[in-house]
Amino acid sequence: MSVAPIAITGMGCICAAGGNQADSMNALLRGERRLGPPVRFASNHPIRYPVFEVADFEEPPDLLRTSAFALHAAREAVADTGLDRRTLGTLRVGVCVGTTVGTVMSEETFCRGYLAGDVPDMAPVRRILRSNPADVIAREFGLSGPRQTVVTACSSGTDALGIAGSWIRAGLYDAAIAGGADELGRITYIGFISLMITDDSSCKPFDRHRRGLNLGEGAAMLVLASEAVTRRTGMRARSFLLGYGSAGDAYHLTAPRPDGAGLRSAISEALATSGVSPASVAFVNAHGTGTPDNDRVESRVLRDMLPGIPFLSTKGYTGHTLGAAGAIEAVVTAACLEMGKIPANAGFETPDPEIANTPVREVTTVSGSVALSESLAFGGNNSVVVLGKA
Amino acid sequence: MSGTGRIVIEGVGAVGGFGCGVSDLSRALNGSARSPGTFALSTGSGPIEFPAFRADVSRLEEFLPVRTLRRIDRFSRLALLGSHLALADAGLPDAERPRLGIIVASGYGATGITYAFLKSFITDGDICASPTYFANSVHNSAAAHISIQLGARGPNLTVSDFHLSVPSALATARIWLEEERVQRVLFGAVDELSELIGYIRYRTRGASPASPMTPLRTEMETSIPAEGAAFLLLARENASRGGYCTLETSVTGSLPFPGFPLPQPGLLVLGADGCRESGRRYAAEAQHARVACYTPLYGSMPAGPAFDVAAAALLLKGGTVFPSPGGSFLDFPATVPAGGDPIGTDRIACITLDADGAYGWTTLGKLPGTTGR
Repeated sequence: MSVAPIAITGMGCICAAGGNQADSMNALLRGERRLGPPVRFASNHPIRYPVFEVADFEEPPDLLRTSAFALHAAREAVADTGLDRRTLGTLRVGVCVGTTVGTVMSEETFCRGYLAGDVPDMAPVRRILRSNPADVIAREFGLSGPRQTVVTACSSGTDALGIAGSWIRAGLYDAAIAGGADELGRITYIGFISLMITDDSSCKPFDRHRRGLNLGEGAAMLVLASEAVTRRTGMRARSFLLGYGSAGDAYHLTAPRPDGAGLRSAISEALATSGVSPASVAFVNAHGTGTPDNDRVESRVLRDMLPGIPFLSTKGYTGHTLGAAGAIEAVVTAACLEMGKIPANAGFETPDPEIANTPVREVTTVSGSVALSESLAFGGNNSVVVLGKA
Repeated sequence: MSGTGRIVIEGVGAVGGFGCGVSDLSRALNGSARSPGTFALSTGSGPIEFPAFRADVSRLEEFLPVRTLRRIDRFSRLALLGSHLALADAGLPDAERPRLGIIVASGYGATGITYAFLKSFITDGDICASPTYFANSVHNSAAAHISIQLGARGPNLTVSDFHLSVPSALATARIWLEEERVQRVLFGAVDELSELIGYIRYRTRGASPASPMTPLRTEMETSIPAEGAAFLLLARENASRGGYCTLETSVTGSLPFPGFPLPQPGLLVLGADGCRESGRRYAAEAQHARVACYTPLYGSMPAGPAFDVAAAALLLKGGTVFPSPGGSFLDFPATVPAGGDPIGTDRIACITLDADGAYGWTTLGKLPGTTGR
């Protein structure tokens, strides 16, 4: 059942930790946590929940911030491959992007105007219709191949990588730009507060006193290619996408299945498609949002399926970037395999008796060549990618 | 991936302005179409009303208890009804449901509940935002509700590429089946005509005309906004117990693209939906082909291409062409066969073109043993 590895030949990332992949990784390894009350939007909620916003980034007026993030990360990823645009144009390149807000008709100014009986300006609607993140990337690079925008909530970024890998194996693409992107706005902020799953201080994934997540924003893009195309174009594989698995909980719209059955199926499929045994996994980049339910279920599944394997959540550095999270965490995972070390699980101090295993508490050397990155999502989606060292 | 097994459309479930279920869709395709209803809005310049194809979801109560539906919004109800109709049409045993993969395509997502969520905090303050509305506003809520109600624990995907959502998502459905990730995929497309979308359509295109859609007339705006859900139960041929036809390819990309215009499969089902600029695009790409167009039966919506695929599946099974509604085709540079003509081919391609030069096409093939020639 194992499938052909797909080369990762370029990576780009933007999040609160840094404006590119290298800066973001350095911030994680230094343990920097850049969170604070939202500054880009206002809320009349009495509690100011901290968030991880991207500083020093301005989107153009005709583009959603989400798509501007996607484009920023895609430019870095393509530059990282060393391919010039002319060569890129000779390949069949697809685009597959995960997002939660990049295609949603939920512009507050427009809705507020309509609700008030005004005749609101249509510019925000036109901006949404012009900002499908996969289309924006395809337009920028003049790509005429297939594109897909995946909207499976918080697993969107991971699913986009897995789907792009499948499309390359099926021969639809020579290469793909794949990843995830999401901006943080008032609607998302208020929505998560209404669900009572946000922490009013910094998040504490897997900690006994965890109270919820901190939202974040950003994007990450990876250039994927078959090994044959990688060789033919002279690109260098930085890492490999070895396998992918996903499964539904069929349980609840916003809560994970208590027995973690969906996540177990996703991990099993990801390991089977990669041909990797649990014992050879160097570490797991867990979803680890810091909500009581997610961390309890996820840690139990890890204890049962990957006992003794080091794991961490990076959301204490980036916040939960929703549709971008899976892609950002895949980039972090691949970079950690390259560097041979993983950052500490920020926010973890006190072990939880409900959680039998504990995440890494300091920067830790890892020697293996394979790692997992997990995403759990609203709707009961569970998605896992297996990445391998080049 | 084996890559050798064919993909079969085992079941079709559709609900829209034409009615509910394959029998209503067949009746409409055979010439007994329903007239559109109306859509009323309050706008800054006063109340307006215009023709629209609305869907009746009351038959969902045949499949799910009313109590279960209380907290499920209209967008997900449309999807749930479409999915249950497709499963019933295929006669899939309940025991097979846990192994289903689910893929939902939507152009705009759950816009009704999203607008309701915004209203909840715009009107009453951020602290009064509704968690139920927010949870249901997430783009994959319909796929989640389907998964929960069916107990389907396979992979679950939602795709949103506006008007290209259907061919894009179908491409991934094919891959899942070819990879043997699953034996069956419950695939569907859904869009709702919410107050918000109705208003945006009104601002973008004005009030739709009271006359029928004539999508193959290239200089007229005749689109009628619509909502609905069209679902297909797809299966690997070796797991299938027969059905309508095979799903051969589904591809998206941008024009110009090598290989376009399409290799002519004998009949093209055009997704032209009555928008003024749409007819010209289709006319340019489908010149001299044999074409059919059924959008006047279900209206203009991003999920429309799934209805085109459903119609093409019925065509291939029946073997004769349904009449293309929509009046005069005199200025359209292609052949539009009359209703009752033989299909004359084993393959039909459904074509979707968007305003930005992107295309999608989905090719269906005759299933051996069906009556189509």
